[in-house]
Amino acid sequence: MTSHIVDADTAVAVVGITGQAARLHTRIMKAYGTQVVAGVRPGAAGQQVEGVPVFDSAAEAMAGAGANAAVLFVPALAIRAAALEALDAGLKLLVMVPEHVPVHDTLAIAERARQVGAQVVGPNTPGLIRPSVKCKLGFLPEAYFTPGPVGVASRSGTLHYEMVRRLTGEGIGQSTCVGVGGDGVVGTTFADMLRFFQDDPETRAVLMVGEIGGTMEEDAAELVIAGEVTKPVVSFLAGRNAPPDKRMGHAGAIIAAGRGTIESKEEAFGRAGIALADLPGDVVPMLRRALER
Amino acid sequence: MKLREYQAKEVFARYGITVPEGELARSEQEARAAAEKLGGPVVIKPQLGIKGRGKVGGIGFADDPDGAAAEAARLLGSDVRGEVVRTLLVERRARIERELYLSVAVDHGARLPLLMASPRGGVDIEEVARTSPDQLLRLHGSMVDPVEDLDLSAVDELLGDGAADVMRALYRCFRETDAEMVEVNPLVVTPDGLMAVDAVLNVDDAALPRHPDLQAMRESLPTDDPLAEEARARHWTYIKLDGDIAILSSGAGLTMTILDLLERAGGKAANFLDTAQIDEQGMVAAFDLLRRASTPKVWLINIFAGLNRCDRLAEGIRDYVREQQLPQPIVVRMVGNMEQEGHRILREVCIEPVTELEQAIEHCVALSQGGRTDDVPHCRR
Repeated sequence: MTSHIVDADTAVAVVGITGQAARLHTRIMKAYGTQVVAGVRPGAAGQQVEGVPVFDSAAEAMAGAGANAAVLFVPALAIRAAALEALDAGLKLLVMVPEHVPVHDTLAIAERARQVGAQVVGPNTPGLIRPSVKCKLGFLPEAYFTPGPVGVASRSGTLHYEMVRRLTGEGIGQSTCVGVGGDGVVGTTFADMLRFFQDDPETRAVLMVGEIGGTMEEDAAELVIAGEVTKPVVSFLAGRNAPPDKRMGHAGAIIAAGRGTIESKEEAFGRAGIALADLPGDVVPMLRRALER
Repeated sequence: MKLREYQAKEVFARYGITVPEGELARSEQEARAAAEKLGGPVVIKPQLGIKGRGKVGGIGFADDPDGAAAEAARLLGSDVRGEVVRTLLVERRARIERELYLSVAVDHGARLPLLMASPRGGVDIEEVARTSPDQLLRLHGSMVDPVEDLDLSAVDELLGDGAADVMRALYRCFRETDAEMVEVNPLVVTPDGLMAVDAVLNVDDAALPRHPDLQAMRESLPTDDPLAEEARARHWTYIKLDGDIAILSSGAGLTMTILDLLERAGGKAANFLDTAQIDEQGMVAAFDLLRRASTPKVWLINIFAGLNRCDRLAEGIRDYVREQQLPQPIVVRMVGNMEQEGHRILREVCIEPVTELEQAIEHCVALSQGGRTDDVPHCRR
């Protein structure tokens, strides 16, 4: 991973640009300041969407417009072909927006990404944003984000905005914010994000917004315990009162065999010295203390 | 989606995995006829969505048709862990020499398929994993490489009897059906070869649109909760809870946080409903679903309009409240795009919105515990 996930030179291709949501967010991303240089839609080469030239493939968008990252707004069942094409073309950063992507497709994409050394974010993510360079891939509501020292990684979309609204409201800005995605299997994990924030000179403290189910939080805690991450980490966990064995929207929010419970996450955080906010309202003061450290 | 055992066996058979000969029975008469047709000793298995059925005494054995009818009479209509038995699978009993274990599941941590095999089948495999880990082979597959490329010789070494061939068939089945898990416990060694006497196949709901055959199997099953089914058709998640505060919010993480905050403040949620992004029509549909689900004491609507617009959603709430004469108090927390305009529209129907989640929670709990609406200025109705 380079020192920044995105920077001023990030040139974005919007895959599936002719769709309604993709058009809207192409316009919003551009208005924010993101360099959207190309759209991709097989069979639509030569068209313009929101002033962006459209290509038949990611490979052509790279060659014809210099795209070096992509955000995918294609339907869930089309994501596998689109992502594998983009990875084979040589793109090193993909943000996969759609929800309800079959888990086998995510697994195949993640496996290929590891083989070619690319970073894949999502699926089921509102995307990522770096306020200092006005670059966002996806649909995070940019009005609530402001430059600053806190790196944010969140499994939930809406809880991500909820937290960032509170940070910005209290004068605490953000370095890079990444929605890692709400699915049980995602391309970029909390552990990946902690490694990134540790090396990111813009980040001084990390907010990790987790939830019940899966072991991503526990795995991230292991990195802190191993001493690979030394920057302060504050976390909030949703789902303490989730009914057991019930899906709460996110495929990941399932309690299975004693792992992935709030208790196992608390225990891991305790060993790692990760500060766990009891209430959403505790996050801001805890981050403030972490930044003063 | 977890298929029923008989459905999973039907799918396994397509991949060349041998399963016992069997017939479905929904009455004593059908069970007797099935046993007559199969001949010899039979096993009678309730077809339910739960796991660990053998352990709760849900399986019947019979040596002849009369016995099969008697066992069917005992099982049909009985309650196995909250599920009523309506369908039985009557199978010819296998002559078992040894019991083995095979499965393939998604390994969420490694992000690869995980194949597991053990010569100690027929028992709780988690127990084997704990007590004799050397008796449980774990092997990672791939989602990219061809099925035939995976080296399964270790399976034959540990299990013998050609189990690797069944493992490969199961792995192919896993890959081609978009399974979250396939499991055969036990795979039995009989004088005639290997046979899957039990079968588990969990298919990824998100992949069902590309498997019309599996979709049809799912649709043939009774729906346990019509409202949950209706929500699922809209790609929402609805779970009935036993409280009296109806919750309409978007995003699983934020909605779970609301449940946590309510619990802490002494309130009880009537439901979990994650609608993801909705527009004003979606808002009306969500109201409608929750009204049919229960009669709450108070409604909590949480809107964080990052992408959608507060004014449009407020119109949806206003129109619904007016047309339906909704009798209960409504607390609305509303922030985001077009926030001021949204608030103005809500005030047309005497809803005074709040901007902070904690404040909304506090009002809801007060109202659910008998607080008068006049005492809470934010829901003057």
